[in-house]
Amino acid sequence: MSDAPHSGVRFRGVIDLDEHKVHDRPTIYVYEAPVRAWHWTNALAITVLAVTGYFIGSPPPALAGEASAHFLFGYIRFIHFAAAYILAVGFLVRIYWGFVGNSHSRQIFYLPVWERTWWAGVVHEALWYLFLRKEPKKYVGHNPLAQTAMFFMFTLFTLFMIITGFALYSEGAGIDSWQAKLFGWVFNLFPNSMTVHTLHHYGMWVIIIFAMLHIYAAIREDIMSRQTMISTMISGERQFRDDRED
Amino acid sequence: MAIETFYDVIRRQGISRRSFVKFCNLTAASLGLGPLAATQMAEALETKPRTPVIWMHGLECTCCSESFIRSAHPLAKDIILSMLSLDYDDTIMAAAGHQAEAILEETKAKYKGQYILAVEGNPPLNEDGMFCIDGGKPFVEKLKWMAEDASAIIAWGACASWGCVQAAKPNPTQATPIDKVIKNKPIIKVPGCPPIAEVMTGVVTYITTFGRLPELDRHGRPKMFYSLRFHDKCNRRPHFDAGQYVEEWDDEGARKGYCLYKMGCKGPTTYNACSTVRWNNGVSFPIQSGHGCIGCSEDGFWDQGSFYDRLTGINAFGVELNADRIGATAAGVAGAAVVVHAAATVVKRLTSKTDA
Amino acid sequence: MGIETPNGFKLDNSGKRVVVDPVTRIEGHMRVEVNVDANNVIRNAVSTGTMWRGIEVILKGRDPRDAWAFTERICGVCTGTHALTSVRAVENALDIKIPENANTIRNIMQLTLQVHDHVVHFYHLHALDWVDVVSALSADPKATSALAQSISDWPLSSPGYFRDLQGRLKKFVESGQLGPFKNGYWGHAAYKLPPEANLMAVAHYLEALDFQKEMVKIHTIYGGKNPHPNWLVGGVPCAINIDGTGAVGAVNMERLNYVSSIIDQMITFTEQVYLPDLQAIGSFYKDWLYGGGLSSTSVMSYGDIPEHANDYSPSSLKMPHGVILNGNLKEVLPIDHKDPAQIQEFVTHSWYKYPDETKGLHPWDGVTEPHYELGPKAKGTRTNIEALDEEAKYSWIKSPRWKGNAVEVGPLARYIIGYAQGKPEFKEPADKLLTDLGVPLTALFSTLGRTAARALECQWAVHQLRYFQDKLMASLKAGDLATANTDKWSPDKWPAEAKGFGFTEAPRGALGHWIKVKAGKIDNYQCIVPTTWNGSPRDPKGNIGAFEAALMDTPLADPEKPLEILRTLHSFDPCLACSTH
Ligand code: HEM
Ligand code: HEM
Ligand code: NFV
Ligand code: SF4
Ligand code: SF4
Ligand code: F3S
Ligand SMILES: [Mg+2]
Repeated sequence: MSDAPHSGVRFRGVIDLDEHKVHDRPTIYVYEAPVRAWHWTNALAITVLAVTGYFIGSPPPALAGEASAHFLFGYIRFIHFAAAYILAVGFLVRIYWGFVGNSHSRQIFYLPVWERTWWAGVVHEALWYLFLRKEPKKYVGHNPLAQTAMFFMFTLFTLFMIITGFALYSEGAGIDSWQAKLFGWVFNLFPNSMTVHTLHHYGMWVIIIFAMLHIYAAIREDIMSRQTMISTMISGERQFRDDRED
Repeated sequence: MAIETFYDVIRRQGISRRSFVKFCNLTAASLGLGPLAATQMAEALETKPRTPVIWMHGLECTCCSESFIRSAHPLAKDIILSMLSLDYDDTIMAAAGHQAEAILEETKAKYKGQYILAVEGNPPLNEDGMFCIDGGKPFVEKLKWMAEDASAIIAWGACASWGCVQAAKPNPTQATPIDKVIKNKPIIKVPGCPPIAEVMTGVVTYITTFGRLPELDRHGRPKMFYSLRFHDKCNRRPHFDAGQYVEEWDDEGARKGYCLYKMGCKGPTTYNACSTVRWNNGVSFPIQSGHGCIGCSEDGFWDQGSFYDRLTGINAFGVELNADRIGATAAGVAGAAVVVHAAATVVKRLTSKTDA
Repeated sequence: MGIETPNGFKLDNSGKRVVVDPVTRIEGHMRVEVNVDANNVIRNAVSTGTMWRGIEVILKGRDPRDAWAFTERICGVCTGTHALTSVRAVENALDIKIPENANTIRNIMQLTLQVHDHVVHFYHLHALDWVDVVSALSADPKATSALAQSISDWPLSSPGYFRDLQGRLKKFVESGQLGPFKNGYWGHAAYKLPPEANLMAVAHYLEALDFQKEMVKIHTIYGGKNPHPNWLVGGVPCAINIDGTGAVGAVNMERLNYVSSIIDQMITFTEQVYLPDLQAIGSFYKDWLYGGGLSSTSVMSYGDIPEHANDYSPSSLKMPHGVILNGNLKEVLPIDHKDPAQIQEFVTHSWYKYPDETKGLHPWDGVTEPHYELGPKAKGTRTNIEALDEEAKYSWIKSPRWKGNAVEVGPLARYIIGYAQGKPEFKEPADKLLTDLGVPLTALFSTLGRTAARALECQWAVHQLRYFQDKLMASLKAGDLATANTDKWSPDKWPAEAKGFGFTEAPRGALGHWIKVKAGKIDNYQCIVPTTWNGSPRDPKGNIGAFEAALMDTPLADPEKPLEILRTLHSFDPCLACSTH
């Protein structure tokens, strides 16, 4: 492991993205404000999308009275679409931040599969979850296992949800809409949009499962690991709880 | 190009020149016209031909033809008598056997590049194409042969456009849509099982009136009829938005005309003109009459699970599953795993603490 | 070299072989080959269904509640009858009872189909076998008008009307583009109508084309569209609401009135146009009594149009039920659709494989496994057939048999059975027509008889339509609005295994579907369709089917233009998509 870029107290055992830098402070600023703001907006948007999406798939029991007196399903769909726009715009902003932000802001968009040490980290963290290691390692950013889950279950699927979602949206917006121009190609792959509905619906479940595992892991790591988790996503600062080398 | 005139026709049928002149005189007389008119008529009989149409049938149910003749505007009879020349259509043509086959050869030779080939149904490719035999030969051969010299091809209905019922899994005959067999001709798809009569005649008259194909969408369908999910113009749509659904057949909601979404209505995913043009001169359409749309103008609509399910079902291990059942089961498993894992974590922590 | 079939036909395939392929003005793809003797009389007939789609194979593993939509697509001409048969089969298997109104509406749907199909068949598929379009050009409109007025009160019959029409026809012919009339057998010696009758028939050809689209609006109202209206296991999909708000989404007073007025028009058209035309045309052809085939010996009808919901016993069925064998009109045998020994299908001469092809299979145990091969005596190649070998497999149609007998089905079969049972609603109109034409009862057993029975049945059906529409109104008046029973809609309520059958009398004859349900899915689905019966190839014993039998012994005026073959085949209204499915 290389030396810290600047002098001071070495806080041993912390692994960072590039060359496993060792840091010299017990607290490191990891998640910049835009990432944090995005995280919580995104989490809220997805929650709203999942709830409204579920009801789009299985509407609540019929309401009595005149149709003109209600717009329940209309609102459910409206909220879904509003949250969808928040999700999509947020995702774009997040991609932008991936370019201009710090190195951790890029983590959810790629996996450093070419790095042996990264693989070792995946294995180590997996073993830690299987109770086969006494301790996790200390990471500045996402640990490799979390990164893997985020990349596959979150990033790819959110992208998938946005693409299929806007393709579905274009059906209502009409074939001259920008949504149709940008996302109409989805129907080249799946000519019957019923399939797209179904896939979009499956996508929700993938993301729900991700959220479940993710929240559990966040809480658990917050308690069990050698570093802060939830407060990090609030303040941006990661604190490490020990100074051991490994 | 040699155009067959009426004179040619009757001469070929063994009628003499003299009878022909007599016929012209008679006709002119019966129309109250003088002898000059008769001469003009005889000359004018060499007229500009109506667009010849060859209507071929593959594997199908003839329902598209049946739908076509239901057209109210224009009337099928006016189309057939005045707007085009339906020179070949096995379902209604007078000729049979080799006299019928002769028409194909003649049209091909005489109207090369000028006739429209309308195809109802589709060719099967398994068994060397012999699941559909026409004149002793595979239909697919005849289809390709007639397509060679056609100006454009109309693929009628879900059969010709997508494959339809015979192409539903496991598609034992390998029934194949027209555009997978003919690649080098403009093909216009008019899907539906069957398509709406006035949509069919609308397409035909558009072509004969404007002399070109209508604008098509990415799937080759005329935009004017297929660019909208009719869900967006459905008469039950206010109930959809309100959240008022038929929950069970013939329930209160059904009698009040609530939305059929929960009964599996495929309106939200189906492109057709049903809610705008409607059926049989605007009398009704499936949803108005109480049954959900089954998506009959969509590609592969037979294989999207039950018509009464909202989402494509999959049949895994002999159990019918849908996205929610699979998703909820997976989420349940994940949830249980989380709980077990959390419990194990607690146990481990307590035990390791006591150890320490 | 001649042979005699067990069902009494002397076959001799030594003479000249005449092939008609495609047979046109039918539904679907068909080929026929005959051998004629030196006098051009047919001595051997081979009829072949030349298409197969595999709907029975495709249905396996699907939801039984969806089966109606698949089977409805077996045919768009007899649209709806397969769907009705299918929902009946599923209801029979799962013991689902439908409400009375649903039964009534289903009857109205089915009767509408009968009328529509018969009218379209007569005018647009069959008429050109009797009517010479070109001859109509030389008719005198005045005389045509006189003829029309002498046989009917139909108002479209003035000289001016016929003159206009003739003018249009002339213009059409003058254009040199004869469209669907191109290459017809115009001027053929077998055409017997005077020009005036031809002109009148052409006028009605066009009127019928206009009117047929009106009748089907009944399907549109109750079923949402035509062709291929919607059906429902457990009832009908159209809910009824005659008082409440929101009735626009359901059947309301305006819709009921609409149906009623169409029925009135159907009655008028049938009685003022169809029947008079049939009689007028028939009177010129009453010497041409070929084409009887099996009709004088073996006919079958399942019966249909149940008066009471869920009661499919012969006493509830308004269309006749039973089988007549060996021409014994004194005995009408009952049919049991469940009896494995009664209805069986053979494939010895069909392009399918069975484990043991000498035996027939009851449809519950039916197998549909395609197997295309030509016999050793076939001429041409596998993909370019010049002549078939009828001693081997030669058709995509299976051979259904009732207790081993080939039978004819269809309107004529129904009329013969109804007649034999002495039912006045069938016997009296038939007797009247025979008397009017001055022909004996035996004239019924012919091509013409088949065509006539269809017209008579159409007349019966239009009045039944009125009856059932009135019945529906009475029921609504009495406060019964129910149209569907959903007690067993959910597959959770079905037994693990079940089997059932459903039948109808389709326009072309007896139609049956047999279903086996296992774990909520279709385990086996078999259809035996009217044209399967009529168009069947030979069975292992060598019995020939109704098409082949009817062609036998008919003289052809000109084998190059086999108008007579078309005439007789068309009299069955063949539907090949149906027959092979
Ligand atoms: C993680 C994010 C999302 C989740 C969990 C989600 C979930 C769902 C679900 C479960 C459905 C019901 C599908 C069905 O049963 O037919 C649905 C429908 C839909 N979603 Fe999403 N969705 C998400 C993102 C989006 C996005 C980004 C858009 C873009 C506009 C979108 C647009 C739609 C549309 C248009 C429908 C169909 C609405 C309708 O048919 O009335 N969704 N969504
Ligand atoms: C109460 C709910 C949640 C909590 C407590 C929570 C907590 C956290 C924490 C602590 C991190 C940082 C993990 C690390 O440092 O390795 C994180 C990251 C992340 N979370 Fe959540 N989260 C919640 C909900 C969600 C939801 C619903 C989603 C989306 C489905 C989500 C998606 C993400 C993503 C994509 C990241 C990576 C952020 C990035 O690197 O840009 N989170 N979350
Ligand atoms: N054969 C037959 Fe059908 C009838 N009628 C059906 O059952 O025609 Ni398409
Ligand atoms: S598309 Fe449907 S209606 Fe048309 S021929 Fe095919 S099966 Fe029949
Ligand atoms: S009935 Fe069908 S098409 Fe009409 S609004 Fe409801 S879901 Fe849409
Ligand atoms: S089933 Fe077909 S007819 Fe229209 S309403 Fe649906 S597309
Ligand atoms: Mg069968």
